Amino acid sequence: MTTASEANATHDAVQTELRQRLARVLNPRCIAVVGDKQVRNYSWLKSLKPFTGSLYSVQVDEREIPGIEELGIKNFPALADIPEPIDFVVCAAPRTVTPHIVRDCIAVGAGGIALFTSGFSEHGDDQGKQLEHELIQLARDARLPLIGPNCMGLHIPRLGVCFSTDQPVQAGGDIAFISQSGTHGLNFSLGAALHGLYCSTLVSFGNGAVLEAADYLDYFADDDTTAVIGMYIEGVRDGPRFARVLRDVARRKPVVVWKGGQTEVGKRATLSHTASLTTNSRVWNALVKQAGAIPVDSLDEMLDVVKALRRPRPTTGRRIALAAMTGGQSVVIADDFAKAGFEIPLFSAASSARLREFVNVIGGSAENPLDLVNTVLYDATAVRRVLDILNEDPKIDAIAFEVSAYIMHGRWARDPALLEELLDTVAAFNRASTKTFAVIIYPGHVEAKAADVRDALQQRGVATYPTFARAATALAKAIAFQAARAES
Amino acid sequence: MSEALLDQARAEGRTVLNEVESKQILAAAGLPTIPTELATSPSHAAALAAALGFPVALKVVASAISHKSDHGGVVLNLPDAAAVRAAYDEIRAATSHLAALEGVSVQPMAAPGVELVVGLARDPQFGPVVMVGLGGVLVEVLEDVALRLVPLTPSDAAAMIHEIKGFPLLQGYRGAPPADLAAIEAILLAVSRFAVANPDIAELDLNPIIAGPEGACAVDARIVLIENEHSQ
Repeated sequence: MTTASEANATHDAVQTELRQRLARVLNPRCIAVVGDKQVRNYSWLKSLKPFTGSLYSVQVDEREIPGIEELGIKNFPALADIPEPIDFVVCAAPRTVTPHIVRDCIAVGAGGIALFTSGFSEHGDDQGKQLEHELIQLARDARLPLIGPNCMGLHIPRLGVCFSTDQPVQAGGDIAFISQSGTHGLNFSLGAALHGLYCSTLVSFGNGAVLEAADYLDYFADDDTTAVIGMYIEGVRDGPRFARVLRDVARRKPVVVWKGGQTEVGKRATLSHTASLTTNSRVWNALVKQAGAIPVDSLDEMLDVVKALRRPRPTTGRRIALAAMTGGQSVVIADDFAKAGFEIPLFSAASSARLREFVNVIGGSAENPLDLVNTVLYDATAVRRVLDILNEDPKIDAIAFEVSAYIMHGRWARDPALLEELLDTVAAFNRASTKTFAVIIYPGHVEAKAADVRDALQQRGVATYPTFARAATALAKAIAFQAARAES
Repeated sequence: MSEALLDQARAEGRTVLNEVESKQILAAAGLPTIPTELATSPSHAAALAAALGFPVALKVVASAISHKSDHGGVVLNLPDAAAVRAAYDEIRAATSHLAALEGVSVQPMAAPGVELVVGLARDPQFGPVVMVGLGGVLVEVLEDVALRLVPLTPSDAAAMIHEIKGFPLLQGYRGAPPADLAAIEAILLAVSRFAVANPDIAELDLNPIIAGPEGACAVDARIVLIENEHSQ
């Protein structure tokens, strides 16, 4: 009879081996899709079209095969017929077939499998639970990394591995995103791309039956292509192991944690979504804080904080210079940054004297928070002058600057050079600045114009936020992380 | 000492340890607790009080009663033997209809300070969790508490105290001296070690702990063990 600790040691050893084997799956050279269908618009195969390696289909339904071959993708009746080693299998076959597919993967020595198929423990019926149990046994016994079930699997932009045709194909991404939800994973990859940020690898892992969040966390902690880890999580199977791994990994890389199911109704939904057991949300928050990870409450906040963590020139200081375009905005920008824990000091005497030389204080302000409306409306050189003074002020650690689309759009429409000049000035300062720099584009009633300005700045390498409060929260969380890391 | 008392309770299939047992166990585990003796008669209580030093507090000891003061089971600030004997009878009269009386605890009044609550609870997924909050209404109504999973590091203990919204009360509010934060941190770390050493603790309540300018001390305590298949 084995003792509980021996059983745990065996379990941990299997888990370690599964995790080591993930490296092949997450760097695939050959992918096979099992069971893609016309009714799904061959979405798996179409999404994987940009894949840089070899892509094959496995489908035995005669009615489906012509459509697959029209895509230029070779179809085989079985995994065993594919003429090269398969690193990653995507399974979209019905649930009752999945144990056979997993056995085939094991027989051909496939690297691993992601099961899009749902209807397992999250479904709640006995057959679903039994099937999931069978998959777990098969995968663990054979040490086959099994992702899911009930998931979207992998998105690896640099290799063109996608689960949606909307996802970007792009080298150089350094954010690992670990998601129990395919939707949140998809939206993270799409939302991040809007800001010029890309995943190193995104794993949507659904029920996490064999490999769960702790395993992926552990993997990405050692992954050289990953600088920041984000995760959307609904629940864990092994609580103490998750707590231990999160603590360990958060010491090495920033980990941003978005917990789904924070309310009673939300918890009920997590049970049917990914069969996640729930824990008191206060315990979760304590766990995240204790680990030194960064808690967020929404996809927007996740994107904001990841953006803030990826910005150049991290600071641990909280003394911020605020530059708004109107009096009302100068009050609110000060309130929002103060609420997030920033200090908004008066500028140094030298800075004040230099600012008063040209900042129009009639209907404006030359102190922190700055109200620059009459100073910079028609003059991008004044913008650069202000920003340079703030950058040189020894009492200031970080700078937040408002680009006010709602005031400027008319002038920009009449004189497009004015906008170009502003964009180039802000981008040049961003490159030259030695301090943390955030730009807020408040859209007002000109959302489309604000989006254009955001894209233009993003192409010039400048991180932007849509509201003062979102910028303040994201910067505060990133700074708290840097400060804690500097202390330890 | 603490192991013996815990083992005895486990052997008897009891899950709730009374105040006197709980304090003995925790004192042996390195937690500062106020000296507390169990009296079984009015004159016994008076003798114990004289030995401990006046003024004293008397509390009902009955495993079935958890909110002792709600039922007239606590009498504070007793200055002499006559008051102690009278209080014993008063407590017996007020609580006899509620539960079998195991006795009455006798303890010296604690030095003044800020009241805190420290607890240990068990999360079904993550195991033991340590809780700290300020005593009274702040914990009960505002739920102003900080939590951390066991095991705590010293920086966890410091961070959780600073996280309480009522933290300024510990820094010396309106001329009161600041509370001994190091002593509170030491209690939190001792609770964490106790949880690691005793995985069958379901709950621990130190309510209140009184934190003065020098030291902090538990004046009431209650340990609850996990029910297992061997319990009766």
